[in-house]
Amino acid sequence: MARFVLRRVALLAAVLFAVTFLGFSAMNLLGDPLVNVVGVLAELDCEGIEAGLVEDTTVDAASRDCDTVAAAKAQYHLDQPVPLRYVLWVGDLATGDFGTSFQNDQPVSQVVREKLPETLILLVMAQIVSLGVAVPWGVIAAYRANRAFDRGSTVASFGLLSVPNFALGVVLLYLLALRWQVFPSAYESDNLGGLVYSMVLPALTLGLPLAASYQRLLRTDLITTLQEDFVHMARAKGLPPLRIMFRHALRPSMFSVVTVFGVSTGALIGGSLVVEQIFGIPGIGREIVTAVIRDDFPVVLAIVMLVACTFVVLNFLVDLFYGWLDPRVRAR
Amino acid sequence: MADQAASAGAPLLSVRDLHVRFPTERGTVNAVNGVSFDLYEGKTLAIVGESGSGKSVTAKTLMNLLPRTARVSGEVTYDGKDVRALAAGKVKHFFGVQMTMVFQDPMTSLNPVKKVGEQIAETLRYHLGRSRGEALAEARELLNVVGIPEPARRVSQYPHELSGGLRQRVVIAMALACQPRLLIADEPTTAVDVTVQKHLLDLLDGLRRDRGMSMILITHDLGVAHGRADDVAVMYAGRVVETADARSLFFDMRHPYTEALLRSIPRIDDPVHHRLDPIPGRPPELIDPPDECAFAPRCVYAQADCLGGVPTLSGLVGLHRFACLHPTGTERGMAAMAANRAAGTTAAGLAVTDRGGGGG
Amino acid sequence: MNGEDRTTPRPGASRDRRASRQRLLWRFRVLRLVRPTEVPDDGPAGDEAAVRRRLGPAFWVAVAWLLTMAFVAVFAPMLPLADPTEVAYSGPRESPSFDAWFGTDALGRDVFSRTVHGARISLAVGGFAIVFGMAVGGALGIVAGYFRGRLDQAVGFLFFVQLSFPALVLAILITATLERSLLVVSLTIGILAVAPVGLLARASTLVYAEREFVAAARVIGARHGRIIVRELLPNVVIPMGALTLLGMAIAVVAEGSLAFLGLSVAGDDAISWGKMIVDGAGLRDLQNATHVAMFPVAVMFLTVLSLNFAGDRIRQYFDVKELAF
Repeated sequence: MARFVLRRVALLAAVLFAVTFLGFSAMNLLGDPLVNVVGVLAELDCEGIEAGLVEDTTVDAASRDCDTVAAAKAQYHLDQPVPLRYVLWVGDLATGDFGTSFQNDQPVSQVVREKLPETLILLVMAQIVSLGVAVPWGVIAAYRANRAFDRGSTVASFGLLSVPNFALGVVLLYLLALRWQVFPSAYESDNLGGLVYSMVLPALTLGLPLAASYQRLLRTDLITTLQEDFVHMARAKGLPPLRIMFRHALRPSMFSVVTVFGVSTGALIGGSLVVEQIFGIPGIGREIVTAVIRDDFPVVLAIVMLVACTFVVLNFLVDLFYGWLDPRVRAR
Repeated sequence: MADQAASAGAPLLSVRDLHVRFPTERGTVNAVNGVSFDLYEGKTLAIVGESGSGKSVTAKTLMNLLPRTARVSGEVTYDGKDVRALAAGKVKHFFGVQMTMVFQDPMTSLNPVKKVGEQIAETLRYHLGRSRGEALAEARELLNVVGIPEPARRVSQYPHELSGGLRQRVVIAMALACQPRLLIADEPTTAVDVTVQKHLLDLLDGLRRDRGMSMILITHDLGVAHGRADDVAVMYAGRVVETADARSLFFDMRHPYTEALLRSIPRIDDPVHHRLDPIPGRPPELIDPPDECAFAPRCVYAQADCLGGVPTLSGLVGLHRFACLHPTGTERGMAAMAANRAAGTTAAGLAVTDRGGGGG
Repeated sequence: MNGEDRTTPRPGASRDRRASRQRLLWRFRVLRLVRPTEVPDDGPAGDEAAVRRRLGPAFWVAVAWLLTMAFVAVFAPMLPLADPTEVAYSGPRESPSFDAWFGTDALGRDVFSRTVHGARISLAVGGFAIVFGMAVGGALGIVAGYFRGRLDQAVGFLFFVQLSFPALVLAILITATLERSLLVVSLTIGILAVAPVGLLARASTLVYAEREFVAAARVIGARHGRIIVRELLPNVVIPMGALTLLGMAIAVVAEGSLAFLGLSVAGDDAISWGKMIVDGAGLRDLQNATHVAMFPVAVMFLTVLSLNFAGDRIRQYFDVKELAF
């Protein structure tokens, strides 16, 4: 087990390095980093202004801008040589200092703290929806494999997987919120109950297509498992079908689902960008889209780094969970 | 077997005219065609045959383990009750308590993600309502009974941590947990090391004796049946082709297939370079079988009348019965063999040389 | 230099298991449609090959739809359609009628004409992205799979890093730093395809690199470049080609998502289905002029469904699973 974990940790470190390095390159190596961070302000001749060499009618505004430029230089350690710059920047990230948005002077960490809970609730609810739908769906489909229900569910899941999630979101919004008014059409945050209730539609939008793919994986694995000798053995032991299904067959059939759980969370994060837009949820996804449109690069970079690193760590944890699920993996 | 007609009362398990068919895209597979036998309390019946002979399907039918697509007809009664009605779920604690099964491959018949102790304890808890602690203690005791060293440590191990032989012992312990009256062992030693096979078979036999259990021992190896079975049924192409008490079968066999099976296994008293006689040809086609003796294409005794219809099992249930028109060890058989040798070929076209195959 | 130094480790059980996980991850990432292998109903296996060798009528319906889309995309400017950008052609939010088949949107633009024109960007980006992904990813994958060793490890790590980003998030990081032109958007989505396609190419190369004909070519002294182009490429192209339509479905959805977020090709004349859907997705439009969003939703769904369905059939037809997975 120790070797297993150790190898995973080494890979985790390497990938985290590569991911942060990519982000760092996007800022520092694609064009002038100062331009990337503060935009046109980078062209100000601040030293000239300070020395009074440049005639500027709006000296006050200009010196304010120069403060911004100086702050940006300090924040991203632009005075340092590139390798050191990277180390210092990663150090900042690791200590939770994500920098400041130069568009609205807000610390990015504060923005993230405000917006993260909404997105997390959405993602968790989406995974709950997808697993909650997929497990019974897959179990029934496998139990009655190739019967009417199973054939119907194959068609249904194929259809669900072909709906782009923004299209599904719009259709669900129209049908369930506007037409039949089962769920609220907009985000509510008055109390936790209302919040969760208003998140049901977004979670369905994200979770249903995922449920379809989980269902297919689970069904295939379950059908294989149900033909295994140990399931016959369990039947020969006289255990009832439901008990065999859930106590014996389900867990060894979850490998595929667990394997793609981490990856699918990535798809959910991508989907949440869109879904938060549709349902007006003030989460990370909406924030990053707004930031891109405003050219607020520090915010974009910080959120991308946060999301990517979280995603990497999540996949690392899924790997460990995989080891728990199958004792045979641990042995190696 | 003559004394068995007089032995106490009704049989524990009685099978009459069992048919099992599987519809497939290429046609219906006739896996079992009219199998009948009786098993009395405390006795062992060996069902012997090559793969595809229908022996495992018969066992699975008894345990109600066939896939839903299988079409089953015939009568199976256990202790006077119809097993298939019991299997329909009317009786909760039947399989596992009255009747249970040990499978061929211990590598796959244990759940890989559960500790072996829990897998044994599960049966005890479900059928006998034991608490977790009690059940685990009993599981340790059972592991001890089946000869697993350090049972206290083994109960908390996973199947992949045990060797094949140990795993099969665990499977046996699991099967015996609720003291079943009938154990079906489907090729219990085929998948384990040769060196372990005899130990396992003796263990099974010993446990059966100690507990007065009945057993159906399924094997492709007549040698395994020898000395352990009270009765033997030889199956071929889904039919019982010869059945008798073990003594009569081994020393006075009648069916050429039984003879061929016996010739194809090595014996300890054979001379060193003795040639084993493999059975010529391949196992029969089970889809749309022709209306002839299924063994005829591979049989050195085959005559024209063998191709004219499926021979029926002669005689009364419980006596030495065989389904052959030219039985080995009889005058008809001798004559058939002599005729085939003279012709150099059987009626089904199998070449016969002087030393080839049969020859009484 | 001739292969003796290239040790091929005997894959052990753990390697197999890891490989099968990799395959699964790959299938999930690339196909999302993880089609269950058809399991015959418990009983003895049926004759599946015959089933696989038929494409079936539904396949041709899907192909017909795709061809129609491709046709209107190419010839949209020449077709007798209303100007897709002309504002207030027949009044805002008009219901579908004989004049405007799909009605008009909030600015009075003809939804039918816009839907037809929208096929241009969606399909162009989708097609370019998958071609780019195949060229770059395919080349990297074949080279990595053929030479093995450190190069393979490096390329594999690059793929792994790319897949460590949620795809849409990576796309945003790229579009945030560059101008949003048709080329940049196509390239961005094409880059997303590099790692998945590369993994597939690498896997198929590994299969073929050990076959006799490659060994034979090596023995007669063929140079690496020649072996790759003449022996490996034709074999690796089959599984990749069979997955083109499935990859394109994903690319079309990705472009739609970017457009929906307003991050696809910029400009008023750059019409895309994703943009049309977001235009009609305001509560007021949804309530009173449902058609503005629903027609592009339906067309897009049918297109993606056709791509997925036809792609899946082709994949089965070529039996790619056995080659690549």
